[in-house]
Amino acid sequence: MYRRLRALRRVTQIVFLAGFLLLFAFAAYPLRSPIPVDLYLRADPLLALSAMVSLRRLLFPLFWYAVPVVVLSLLLGRVFCGWVCPMGTSIDVMERVFRIRGRRPQGEPRWRRVKLYLLIALLVTMVVPAAHRSPAETGLTESVGLSAVYLLDPLALLTRTATWVGLPVVQWVVSMTSDTVTGWSYSDLAGKHPMLDRALAPVQLGLSVVARPASFRLVLLTFLVFAGIVALGRYERRFWCRNVCPLGALLGWLGRLSPVRLAVGERCNECMRCVAECKMGAITDDPKRYRGPECIECMSCAAVCPQGAIALTTGYDGVAREDEMRLDRRRVLGAMAAGVAAVALPKVSLGSKRSDATERVLKISSLRLMRPPGALAEDEFVTACVRCGECMKVCPTNTLQPAVGEGGLEALGTPVVVPRVGPCTQPCNLCGRVCPTGAIAPFSVEEKSHLYLGTARVNRSECIAWAQEKECLICDEACSYDAIVQKAIEGLGRPVVDERICVGCGMCEWVCPVEPLGAIRVDSSGDRRHLGRDRQRLLREEGGQDRGDESPYPDL
Amino acid sequence: MRMRDGLTRRDFLRHAAAAGVAAAGFGGLVDGLSAEAAAGPTIAVASKHDPVGLVRASVQALGGMGKFVKKGAVVLVKPNIGWARRPEQAATTNPEVVAEIVRLCKQAGAREVRVMDHPVDRPDAVVLKMTGIQRAAEDAGARVSMASSPALYESVKIRKGRALKSAEVMRDLRRADVVINVPIAKVHGQTGLTFGLKNMMGTVWDRGAFHGSESLDQAIADYATEIRPDLVIVDAIRILLTNGPKGPGKTADKGIVVAGTDPLAVDAYAATLFGWKPEKVGHLKAAHQAGVGEIDLGRITIKHV
Repeated sequence: MYRRLRALRRVTQIVFLAGFLLLFAFAAYPLRSPIPVDLYLRADPLLALSAMVSLRRLLFPLFWYAVPVVVLSLLLGRVFCGWVCPMGTSIDVMERVFRIRGRRPQGEPRWRRVKLYLLIALLVTMVVPAAHRSPAETGLTESVGLSAVYLLDPLALLTRTATWVGLPVVQWVVSMTSDTVTGWSYSDLAGKHPMLDRALAPVQLGLSVVARPASFRLVLLTFLVFAGIVALGRYERRFWCRNVCPLGALLGWLGRLSPVRLAVGERCNECMRCVAECKMGAITDDPKRYRGPECIECMSCAAVCPQGAIALTTGYDGVAREDEMRLDRRRVLGAMAAGVAAVALPKVSLGSKRSDATERVLKISSLRLMRPPGALAEDEFVTACVRCGECMKVCPTNTLQPAVGEGGLEALGTPVVVPRVGPCTQPCNLCGRVCPTGAIAPFSVEEKSHLYLGTARVNRSECIAWAQEKECLICDEACSYDAIVQKAIEGLGRPVVDERICVGCGMCEWVCPVEPLGAIRVDSSGDRRHLGRDRQRLLREEGGQDRGDESPYPDL
Repeated sequence: MRMRDGLTRRDFLRHAAAAGVAAAGFGGLVDGLSAEAAAGPTIAVASKHDPVGLVRASVQALGGMGKFVKKGAVVLVKPNIGWARRPEQAATTNPEVVAEIVRLCKQAGAREVRVMDHPVDRPDAVVLKMTGIQRAAEDAGARVSMASSPALYESVKIRKGRALKSAEVMRDLRRADVVINVPIAKVHGQTGLTFGLKNMMGTVWDRGAFHGSESLDQAIADYATEIRPDLVIVDAIRILLTNGPKGPGKTADKGIVVAGTDPLAVDAYAATLFGWKPEKVGHLKAAHQAGVGEIDLGRITIKHV
């Protein structure tokens, strides 16, 4: 019976991993998915907790999405880790594929409490106020945290690995093989064999435009982190889940009172097979006892027991399960101090928004900090963003890239618009629709006319029209918002940006023929997120009226 | 500062090419309706129909699609699918016009009809969807794609080029048996007006070479001396009057389709729809001087249908 249950668990794992990958693939233009493509991230209670605590407000859709996993854990313990979590399954699959068996002899796992200290440190980063503001500023909370949950949340980590590493690699392989094998690019091949094209349509959807493979910064670093997580299995199997994962720690803590437990019967002859099999190191040296918050109910112990002595049962009689966490007080204090440091260190580094006194420093060091439209004000955004990369996956122009310097240390990996890679194309609002925490709040295509990410500026010493006296108005013709006007000087049109109309979408920078940087460049000085949407809209309307537009919103 | 895909300068060729063009004269270069070539080119101007009828009537007036598309031919249709705009905004070719051309080609026995462009706007999927051309043309039996990878282009020498010496040209265009150019008539911030000759810029990869050349007008004309569509059908059903080429701007409903085999004659007539003299449009004038075709409306036979 328990062999069957173990088989069922394996099938369930594969189904949930496949679901994760499928939703990931469906996070692509035109985004027609009946279920939210960021479902797994929304269902993650740790991410929901982080967003709500650090933003100091209840986020309702997110709250409800997180309920099932919490309930599941209260009733069944860490069953999510063993049966559902795509990170856990990925590690299981990798350990099998690469034949990774933990080398470490059995015995008390030394580092299993580390994940609890990490969880405590993360909770502290959510709570500690990282930014204070005067309540006079419209619609903004008085203080926000600077959550570091993105560093260690398994679902955010896996999703961004899939986006930054998996997607480009798969696209690259597909395009290279089709190029080298056939001498034709994929679109040519598909043109010759419409059947093939139709058969591959769902794949194309997920890979979105194989002709232009996506690429991201931070690829190598992200890959190394994931590879490291897998490689640590050589020391202890599922090293990540045992010792590091703060979500596992949270769910284990929630499940301490779970009425479901494993019981070891009289027939046990202490052959220790279960102890060797347990990939979580949850069974103690006495095989009749196990550590509750470590057990992921994978059922392997019951399945391998030659005596059939292990059984699932309910109730609290018998004390086979140890639920005590036994945290060390000094280490808890250390973890809390680490949490404070994790907020303070990036905040005092150059390039972060600290106070009015350093406003100029922000403007200089983060001149290219253009956030996607709809993004919350910067200090709210950096704490709400979990760096899952879902927005970058769905972005059809690849313009959304992980920040590597923009916005300071605290903004590492958050999405920024990099116009030279692609423009933030006007008729698109997908990033706002896939952001699990609402760091990019949903926005309509119409609203993009007044969501100011930045402002384009013409570098007149490089511009072909200004400096070389040649006809060139590509930026003007490509501008989606009619924000560039031609100024006739000595019989030749020269591009000039109307700063009240320009929202900084980067179309001009993308099309500018001047290599390598473009002679018209967007900078974040025109970022007006902190004003709120209503005031930005007013600003846009006034700008339009000043130049006599018939409608403040030129027909899209 | 370096231009995208900069040109190799070969100034010595320029003078030779100019001399050659002058010597060759113009009449001999106008092909297509060879019987009428001596008397000047013929164009068809259709009005007072729905879009489908306009296309049919204008093509019929030129002798029917069968004259251009032989049985088993591979046809490349090049509309303007350059911008993420809706059809009614008149920045891109009317999808019904494209669809009807595809159907006519199919009826004439075309083995394959490909509808392609190299859009300025990004990304392809959005542009294809918003313009309505993908759906319309695919329903009509065409294969619609965007040539958005340099691998889909090949280098072509512009033998008579003065400002443009070579270009990366869409491979599908080079390999097609028949090329039909289907621009939309618009104003254009840089070239004044834009029709067929300008629309052909969407068949090159390195547009920067046009803009970076000494004169965009001359580059467009140069390109037309080397790459010549077999048929040009200008969509002037709704034309864009301001803020071209992308809009949004004021539009006017003209309800006209202009078709012909002389790419310059068709454009010259289309210019008059905006109240412009064709010679006032820089690239049309340059194309005339380069011997691309006829610009003088007095020498063009116009069939109103």
